[in-house]
Amino acid sequence: MNWVREHPAWTMFAAMIGLLLFLWGMAIPLSLAPAPIGPAAEQFAEGARITVMLTLVAGTAGIVIGVLAGLGKLSAFLPLRWFCNFYVWLFRGTPLLLQILFVWLVVPQLLPEAMEISDFACAAIALALNVGAYNTECVRAGILAVPHGQVEAARALGLSPFQGFMDIVLPQSMRVALPALANNLASLVKDSSLAYAISVVELTMVGYRIQAESYQPIPVFLTVAMIYLILTTAFTTLTAALESQLDVGRKR
Amino acid sequence: MSALKPIIITENVHKHFGAFHALKGVTATFYEGQVTAILGPSGSGKSTFLRTLNRLEPHDIGSIRVDGIELDDNLKRLDMIRREVGMVFQSFNLFSHLSILRNLTLAPMRVRKMGRKEAEEKAMALLERVGLKDQALKYPVQLSGGQQQRVAIARALAMDPKVLLFDEPTSALDPEMVNEVLAVMRELAHTGITMLVVTHEIGFAREVADRVIFFDHGAILEDAQPQAFFTNPEHDRARAFLSQVKHGF
Repeated sequence: MNWVREHPAWTMFAAMIGLLLFLWGMAIPLSLAPAPIGPAAEQFAEGARITVMLTLVAGTAGIVIGVLAGLGKLSAFLPLRWFCNFYVWLFRGTPLLLQILFVWLVVPQLLPEAMEISDFACAAIALALNVGAYNTECVRAGILAVPHGQVEAARALGLSPFQGFMDIVLPQSMRVALPALANNLASLVKDSSLAYAISVVELTMVGYRIQAESYQPIPVFLTVAMIYLILTTAFTTLTAALESQLDVGRKR
Repeated sequence: MSALKPIIITENVHKHFGAFHALKGVTATFYEGQVTAILGPSGSGKSTFLRTLNRLEPHDIGSIRVDGIELDDNLKRLDMIRREVGMVFQSFNLFSHLSILRNLTLAPMRVRKMGRKEAEEKAMALLERVGLKDQALKYPVQLSGGQQQRVAIARALAMDPKVLLFDEPTSALDPEMVNEVLAVMRELAHTGITMLVVTHEIGFAREVADRVIFFDHGAILEDAQPQAFFTNPEHDRARAFLSQVKHGF
């Protein structure tokens, strides 16, 4: 962990390369394993890739939502504050599975008939809205932690409120919010498994299918669990390195 | 005196914080190149007044004109004024996530649209002037209080302001660091920049200022030459203040 802290840029690079190699190369060692794992190696790899895609798409959108709604909660404009509070209350107070089913069943009805929305997109939307609600609180806390003097200094130098926010407040608030946001991302890797309910063939769904065909749940689910662990390890290494990178101004 | 050009004109400036009447009609004119020391007991409104001059505290009543521009809710005019008016804070307020160099180049690059190379050359020249050229790549937390405040002065100067506001620049410093900051300010005072300095440093005010303003209960009680003010203040309140402050040394 010391090495990670001292070389954050290299660690991020290595974690990303490692993740890509794992996603596109794992089928090769897995195919050497005995049945039921070996013959299904390519399916495991494809499931893992879908899981990571879901995580990255929903995670990125969730950060954007979290920043916007976190700002909205601090806005002086009361209706906006109400709206953001309502959003967080709604998505933290209902089950994620229900949210996924809701998006899957309701959104297609709202769209014009010519427009099709994939199961993957439905799952990504629901996951993004869900993790966004949790991110909102982290971002809000991060923004509140930035000393007011920093904003005053930015304004006194002639930076606009937007420039002050982008250059000063946002980076400093991220430094505070990042550990909590990283936590949410680690949860998201696993929460994405609920997409199996709307027939997205992600990693958990792959495992479920293969054990149903082979009647051997133990090796199949152990393999699935191992892949999840490698994925979450890659993500937490990445976010830990990012944390060190952002922490640079606080080092003595 | 006739050649003096006014740069800040305030007329009947009032400011309330809730029920507290912090400024009770402050009228004053500050001239280009003048160094004004603003003294007064805590809570007298001296810092609040300074902070209305770049609208960190918007005033409720009255008018403030800086370099001919009216200070009000118009953001465009406000931005123009803030480019011309630099500020140095009691608690430095250096951007903690940016290197010293980036602290100095950020505003010129963003606000004045200066290129990176030019901004960095200028920043290095300013850091050399405040004696901190070697610290350019460090972060604020790695510097002492006195060094941080010198960087803060350099950061304000990087915008080429016409006016520099100092809000108790040495009050948060350990005693042995006060002098290094005062030395930089003294050097600045001789360059012809307009300075308004809220301070408790009587020695500095006496030696460097062209003019002393004494605040009490949200208003200007005395406005005088330093020599006259320090040897023979007109009001008892000012006399009491001076004897207390001197007592502290």
